[in-house]
Amino acid sequence: MEYEAVKSIVVVLLLVVSFAVFGLRVYQLLWVNLQRGRPGPPYGRWIERIKGLVVYVGGQLRLFRFLAPGIAHFFVFWGFVILILTILQAIIEGLVAFADPGFVIPVIGEFGPLALLQDLFAALVGIAVVYALYLRLVVNPPRYEGSHRAQAVMVLSFILTIVVSLLVINGIRIELGEDPLADWRPVASAVGAVLSGLSDPTLEVVEEAAYWIHLIVVLAFLTELPGGKHFHVVTSIPAVFLRNLDPPGRLPPAPEFNGDVGVNAVEQFRRRQLLDFYTCTECGRCQDVCPAYASGSPLSPKLLIMSLRDNLIQRGVALRDGQQNGAVLESELVGDVITEEILWACVTCSACDQECPLFIEHVTPIVDMRRHLVMEGRMDGMLQEAMANLGRYGNSFGQSERARAKWTKGLPEKIKDARREPVDYLWFTGDYAAYSATLASATKTTAEVFRRADLDFGLLYEAERNAGNDVRRVGEEGLFEMLAEDNAAALNACEFRSIVTTDPHTYNALKNEYPAEINGGRPVLHYSELLDQLIADGRLRLGRELGYRVTYHDPCYLGRYNGVYDAPRRVIEAAGCTLVEMPRHGDRAMCCGAGGGRIWMEEGDTQQRPAAMRVEEAAGLEGVEMLIVSCPKDLVMFEDAAKSGGYADRLAVKDLIELVAEAL
Amino acid sequence: MNIVVPVKLVPDLVEELEIDDGGTALDTTWLRFILNEVDEHALEQALLLKESLSGTVSVISLDGEGVDDVLFASSAKGVDRLIKLTGVDYGVNVNNHAMARFYATTVRILEPDLVLVGVQAHNDLDGSLGPLLAEYVGMPYVGYVSGIAPINGRCRVRKEYPGGLIAEMDVEMPAVLGVQAAESPPRYVAISRIRQAMKTAAVDEQAAPDLDTTGGPMVDSMFKPETAERATMITGDEDEVAGRIVDLLRELGKA
Repeated sequence: MEYEAVKSIVVVLLLVVSFAVFGLRVYQLLWVNLQRGRPGPPYGRWIERIKGLVVYVGGQLRLFRFLAPGIAHFFVFWGFVILILTILQAIIEGLVAFADPGFVIPVIGEFGPLALLQDLFAALVGIAVVYALYLRLVVNPPRYEGSHRAQAVMVLSFILTIVVSLLVINGIRIELGEDPLADWRPVASAVGAVLSGLSDPTLEVVEEAAYWIHLIVVLAFLTELPGGKHFHVVTSIPAVFLRNLDPPGRLPPAPEFNGDVGVNAVEQFRRRQLLDFYTCTECGRCQDVCPAYASGSPLSPKLLIMSLRDNLIQRGVALRDGQQNGAVLESELVGDVITEEILWACVTCSACDQECPLFIEHVTPIVDMRRHLVMEGRMDGMLQEAMANLGRYGNSFGQSERARAKWTKGLPEKIKDARREPVDYLWFTGDYAAYSATLASATKTTAEVFRRADLDFGLLYEAERNAGNDVRRVGEEGLFEMLAEDNAAALNACEFRSIVTTDPHTYNALKNEYPAEINGGRPVLHYSELLDQLIADGRLRLGRELGYRVTYHDPCYLGRYNGVYDAPRRVIEAAGCTLVEMPRHGDRAMCCGAGGGRIWMEEGDTQQRPAAMRVEEAAGLEGVEMLIVSCPKDLVMFEDAAKSGGYADRLAVKDLIELVAEAL
Repeated sequence: MNIVVPVKLVPDLVEELEIDDGGTALDTTWLRFILNEVDEHALEQALLLKESLSGTVSVISLDGEGVDDVLFASSAKGVDRLIKLTGVDYGVNVNNHAMARFYATTVRILEPDLVLVGVQAHNDLDGSLGPLLAEYVGMPYVGYVSGIAPINGRCRVRKEYPGGLIAEMDVEMPAVLGVQAAESPPRYVAISRIRQAMKTAAVDEQAAPDLDTTGGPMVDSMFKPETAERATMITGDEDEVAGRIVDLLRELGKA
């Protein structure tokens, strides 16, 4: 038999085998396991989803947050898209070799500009991959810790082999004078020139060898994809397309199984969450920005997702094989696969969710699993006490609800009771501002500034309960519902135009998680937004230029969760201060460590607390004398960290309201 | 193993206490009643025994504000039977003698192997509930218990004495035990479980017998602690403060 006929037969066989393996693996590893998942809420909003594909898959927007690796990935991605046609050419060329060994795809294969693009991208992909290998093997940044290095290096070598073999094939064809588009392929021409010393028959052998290497590596890559970190080339498209479009501050409804809230088996997650587990590329951006990981806790968002993926696949295999028991099926998701320490370490700051280029949700599976722990009563003593206090008194301080407005004692004028008379602004104080002895003076100052602005405002007094933002994130869904119902009843009985609060956690719950009818479309404002408005309207005149050099900490639930970055900065400027940004600011701000209920839990073993790292970051700024915060918990966390870190004498921690009051 | 846990609700000290106009009792208008803290331990110990040996746990309570919440929370934790004695309220002045008499009637009918009570409460004006109840039902009593292991119809209990002394002793069952601490901290029960219990659990309401407070003390007058002499703050620089402290120590030493 002639070589060309054998070539066609082998190509057919390779294609059949590799696509069958790929198909079977996708079916078994992905499809079957996805079917086991729980359906989520309906998707909808298709236009927005298509836009997301264009921006986040096509434009790779989130990848550029890590600039150099982002650019490298951009070229590899687009290289793949553009080189799909050259791979198609290689496959068809092999298939029809017995009839037409010099086959070229009509029109597309004869279009010069496309040939140029392919040629350039083959080179760019090569360069990008060499950079990626350098990153993996030489730089090896800490974010790769725990990722599959061998797998990454293998796949990078695959890609490098694919583009190099392509350039060799094209180069030799140019050298042999077989390519009419030779002028459009400068890179391949250069490769050909390098090989020009070889005789024509040798070149033909090298070309054939390069062809087989090219095809086999392409197909090997295909079969290797499912289940590994490179599966994202398939799953990222549906994952980005079906991503959660609700406000990030609104947790999806709690999963419930036979009356029990929470997840304790990987199949109990939503299908969209399962898709996330497959989509993880192990790039470690989440781990890099995680305050819990940085403080030495056992949580790494990346390893969490990888463990969930491994467990999903292993359970899928065990179930497929008809096993009734065995280690994989008997191990509990919560406790065995993912330990309690890992779950409780999360501060729900959402830095991981924000950083993930493929919109993988890290916080929602953590909260789902915490819900299971809460149902089982598995939590530390301090947290248990806080939950019991919240259940009984509506605040975590374990004080009577009647003491909620105790801080108002000694104010020159009594604050209106919003339950008795209509007010413009209903001031929802939140627990910390109302009960913490440390914060009493800041809270009084807020009242004083509101009064100076001639604001018509009032309180709910003892009818206010903790808004439940962090109760929900601890996983105590029933308690959150109870608190929300109590607050809804209180709010519904009052007449007001907007709600204002100093606490970003309260703000998030009221704005995003309370049913719309409670707010009745009335705005919920953070005090920084209100102050900004009052200053802009001229109702609050900041007469004094304070002239301090300050930095500002973005609270997670104000910034990342609700996108309020500018209002507090404008207020700082209006007070005549110079704002110096910390390296991590805006949506990259680092959490103080108090979120997600962490403030109620025991400290645990940590190397350095997030608040200490943050204060160190602020103190490292040249000439900065003040750290301005806009969250009551931050004031508590950072004042403490500044004292214990020995920065108290040169870095004052101040609430935004204190700055405003001083500038009045 | 059938266990009965008679509980007691006590005024919540989180609220400011006021003396009523008569001057002999607390003003109940603003009082909030919560489960006595050590009763949580008695209940937890009962549940631990049930879980390791099987059996049933019944909780008995008088009526009053907050009682239903306590009963439903108990049910959510795993208590099998909820009994509420109606017609008598924690808010009226029921002393421990009267309470023990109420509970004795029910305990006799339930014929338990063990009766676990909280060893004390902050408003025990007439002694703690356990020994009184034991007397009325004719069972032995051991208090300050922090560990219970039933062996062959008896019960080996760990009793704590002041000063860190610990004894192990065997008690004939049925017995009344005053629990100081359960073997593990009282469990947390999720609110959603309590809400489920509210829908599904049944409270067995039984009419309480007539109130009989005989044996308890007659209170002549009740008053708040009198404010002690206020502390004096020493001000000034380090030397001044140190000097003043030395003077004070000298003065006090002479006296």
